[in-house]
Amino acid sequence: MTLQLASVCKTYRRFGKPPVAAVKLLDLEVADGETMALLGSSGCGKTSSLRMIAGFEAVTSGAIKLKARRIDTLPPARRGVAMAFETYALYPPLTIAENIGFALAADRSARGSAASRVRQIADLLEITPILERRPAGLSGGEQQRASLARALIRNVDLHLLDEPMSQLEPQLRAVLRGRVKSLLRERGYTAVFVTHDQTEANALADRIAVMEGGVLQQCGTAEELRERPSNTFVATFFGEPPMNLLPAIAEPAVARLTGAPEIALPLAVPLALAEGQAIEIGIRPHRIQLGNFPLRGIVLSNQWLGDEAHIAVEFAGRTIVAVSPVRIAVRAGDAIGLGIDPASLHVFDRMSGCALAHGGMRA
Amino acid sequence: MAGITAERISVIYGKRRVLREVSLEVAAGKTLVLFGPSGAGKSVLLRAIAGLEPNTQGLVRIAGADVSALGPERRGVGVAFQNFALYPHFSAFDNIASPLRAQGVVAGEIGRRVEKIAALLKIGHVLNQFPRELSNGQRQRTALARALVGEPKALLLDDPLRNVDAKLRYEMRLELPRLLRGFGAAVIYVTQDFREAMALGDEVAILAGGELLQLGTPETIYATPNNVAVARLFGDPPMNLLAVETETRGGETVAAIAGFRFRFVASAEAAGKALLGIRPDALALVPAGTRGAAPMTILADTPLHDRHVLLVRAKDGNELVVSSRVPATSDEVWVKPDVALLFAQASGLHMATAVQERAMA
Amino acid sequence: MVRPDLLKLVLRGLALAAVVIFFLFPIFWILLMSFQTNTQILRLPPRLFFAPTLANYTALISGTLHTASGTLQITFLRNLGNSFLLSTCSVIVSLTLGVPAAYAFARFRFRLGENIAFTLLSFRFAPPLLVLLPLSLDFQQIGLSNTYVGLIWVYQLICLPLILWIVRGYFEDSSPDIEHAYRVDGHSWWRAFSRIAVPLARPGIAAAGLLAFIFAWNNFVFALILASADKQPVTVGALAFVTAAGIQYGQIAAAIVLSILPTLILALYAQRWLVEGLSLGAVKG
Repeated sequence: MTLQLASVCKTYRRFGKPPVAAVKLLDLEVADGETMALLGSSGCGKTSSLRMIAGFEAVTSGAIKLKARRIDTLPPARRGVAMAFETYALYPPLTIAENIGFALAADRSARGSAASRVRQIADLLEITPILERRPAGLSGGEQQRASLARALIRNVDLHLLDEPMSQLEPQLRAVLRGRVKSLLRERGYTAVFVTHDQTEANALADRIAVMEGGVLQQCGTAEELRERPSNTFVATFFGEPPMNLLPAIAEPAVARLTGAPEIALPLAVPLALAEGQAIEIGIRPHRIQLGNFPLRGIVLSNQWLGDEAHIAVEFAGRTIVAVSPVRIAVRAGDAIGLGIDPASLHVFDRMSGCALAHGGMRA
Repeated sequence: MAGITAERISVIYGKRRVLREVSLEVAAGKTLVLFGPSGAGKSVLLRAIAGLEPNTQGLVRIAGADVSALGPERRGVGVAFQNFALYPHFSAFDNIASPLRAQGVVAGEIGRRVEKIAALLKIGHVLNQFPRELSNGQRQRTALARALVGEPKALLLDDPLRNVDAKLRYEMRLELPRLLRGFGAAVIYVTQDFREAMALGDEVAILAGGELLQLGTPETIYATPNNVAVARLFGDPPMNLLAVETETRGGETVAAIAGFRFRFVASAEAAGKALLGIRPDALALVPAGTRGAAPMTILADTPLHDRHVLLVRAKDGNELVVSSRVPATSDEVWVKPDVALLFAQASGLHMATAVQERAMA
Repeated sequence: MVRPDLLKLVLRGLALAAVVIFFLFPIFWILLMSFQTNTQILRLPPRLFFAPTLANYTALISGTLHTASGTLQITFLRNLGNSFLLSTCSVIVSLTLGVPAAYAFARFRFRLGENIAFTLLSFRFAPPLLVLLPLSLDFQQIGLSNTYVGLIWVYQLICLPLILWIVRGYFEDSSPDIEHAYRVDGHSWWRAFSRIAVPLARPGIAAAGLLAFIFAWNNFVFALILASADKQPVTVGALAFVTAAGIQYGQIAAAIVLSILPTLILALYAQRWLVEGLSLGAVKG
């Protein structure tokens, strides 16, 4: 295992203001050659964590180890990491080619191959036309790609990327994501990147660590986060459209919906719940079937997005969203039948938000 | 009668032509989405229609009346800005009440109408707060409420969801159409997000480089883009575009690339060098050896929501993006296209479309 | 990591102390002088500890000074009043003219706009002596010599560029979208200016006004040439202490202390705004 964070905490103390605990007891492990995403909304602690790994922020308590070597006491230059900054931080007086090859220039043994390696990474990220230009006057997307190239060209133990592709022109996003992922895999790089965009996390990472309020909510593959979210925050944060949540009361073998007490959804697994326990039932939009089913709702909107239809339905006093891969001829006001399979239901405790069961398995 | 009509609007800054003779029409109760990359001139067009752009040439009609010579305060439009543009020193209530005060509505009626719209947008409980105390989502709704409260005939929404977080943006995307329909105004909605355009627009106008490239329903533009620029812009992930050499014989233009063969209706302009476009979702993974499919190597699988966006390389070296519902089971796969578009090299115009049978899922 | 923090802290403290002493020492010394008699001031070597006296201040305030060679009438309080009057009126006039002008420069693009703005700003850098002689002749001809109106008018050369410079920067930095939104709501451009632009630029306007007041107060050369005794501000009034009987250092010191007190208090009170206002004008967003 390459990178290990053990009970890392970060508290910002400013004179005259109450201390801010940005990161609370973070435990994280990144395996060799793995790409890990730190995902969360702004202020969740992901950027603070990355900067602590890089060495731009001091660790308040806890330890960070890279390849079994403790690095949290070392200055950034001695940690053996490469970083791509959110603000690009390109060197203004140097050309893009010189920026990218900057670290290589210091390493005498790499001199000969430096030029060809710069070319190679520039071709990959489609910035070959701007290699001889200076950063000023380039668009945000171009600067970002140059900054990314500068980090990826280096052969180090750990690559840290802070919002690496947020400014990318939408046209290039799909292709470049694929190429970067391919590069990381080919060269066996270990990488940690920070993003607030879950499509980017989903696309590039092997595992995703979801953070909120300085606390790690869940760390797992995209599939684990989607199919077995550990709490309601992860369940509704991850996925577009987000998971539908319906409040319910637990009864033996069924969940009685609070918004429509006549509806009792059968649960796939008998849970040791107290009768009457307040729970939330979660169902992912892609798992709701539409058609001739006994459970009925009223259609609120039907939007066709080119490859799938998002249908908002009023059901049990709530608005839920169902996704259909084909166009369905319904309009606002129509009644529609919903097919909900017990195996697709997730059960959460309403007080704590923790997951109790996913489909047929206990959480 | 049209709600908003823009006739040959041009905006010139010194030597730079920011908008070139753009014309469009939006009927009352309908939403037109103005779609395009950044710098295309969408915000400029909106400001020109609102009367906020001093260097405008052309005609603007709102509810049939010619307002081209009138200042913004006399045009009867409601505008929601990208950065909200709320008055920081007014409470949310006073922000929303501003258009009504300008109209000279009496105080009691102002209170009633502001509260009604605030309830509709679910911000009734924060009316006493100031913009700096509101969350981003609440600010955005306040800006919307202000645009709607005066019941304008024309509503101009400049990418109002841009600065709002992903979850809220999705919620608003579901709610907005219903909300807007209740008001019956002609709406122009600016966005760079393809799915937003598909979800919200009765019609879409594609703007790039200050020019209107195509106007039509979202489905029409998606299926039959006028030219290469529109095809690349409208779609996410963007359409694959490959340079091909075509042969024309016997009333057909044939293009072979990446292991595929397409037969189009003969087109003189696409003779020789041309561009072939295949949308990622028109490519599917099929069992090996399926007729019409070609073998490819997977370079990367980048999941996107519930799909898999695969970067593949064909045997002839071309890179393609495939959007598949099922994951790839190995690195060597067979891919079959179902719709391809042929574009002329020089003009970029769409020449023909070839349809193959859909692969069995 | 070693403890470079402590070393850095000590060095920083020393550097700060050096700078503070360098700048504040003259003021401190003058303060001391104002409580000393002439003989005490001129004594060599100078002494830090002495028996203070309020004679200088009483002389200024009462208006009479008893010296070895006779009694002198001092018009210091009248000069103080002139300073207040001139500075306040100048600032009011320059704000009335300057704020709308700054708005126009910031918001509208018109032909020669940049040229006009630059010309107006350049007055700040023009040496007053350049215009003084022709101005004094012209004033005598028009009959504005030795009038408050004339002086306030000339003081615009000091105040107006300052107001323009700072307030224009403030308007340029604020988003015009807020005013646009107000216009779209149905309000006229005048209401957008008065109800939205000006209230939101209040910090910048206040800072500019404060600075203009301080600069007008400190002006010496215009008042010296274009006004005579009864209209002179404190800057010129201090010259009165250079008498035939000798230079009354004690009274000069006391006069200086009293004349810097108003602007010092103002600046301390509004120092945060001053820094903000100054930097906004100087650095473009």
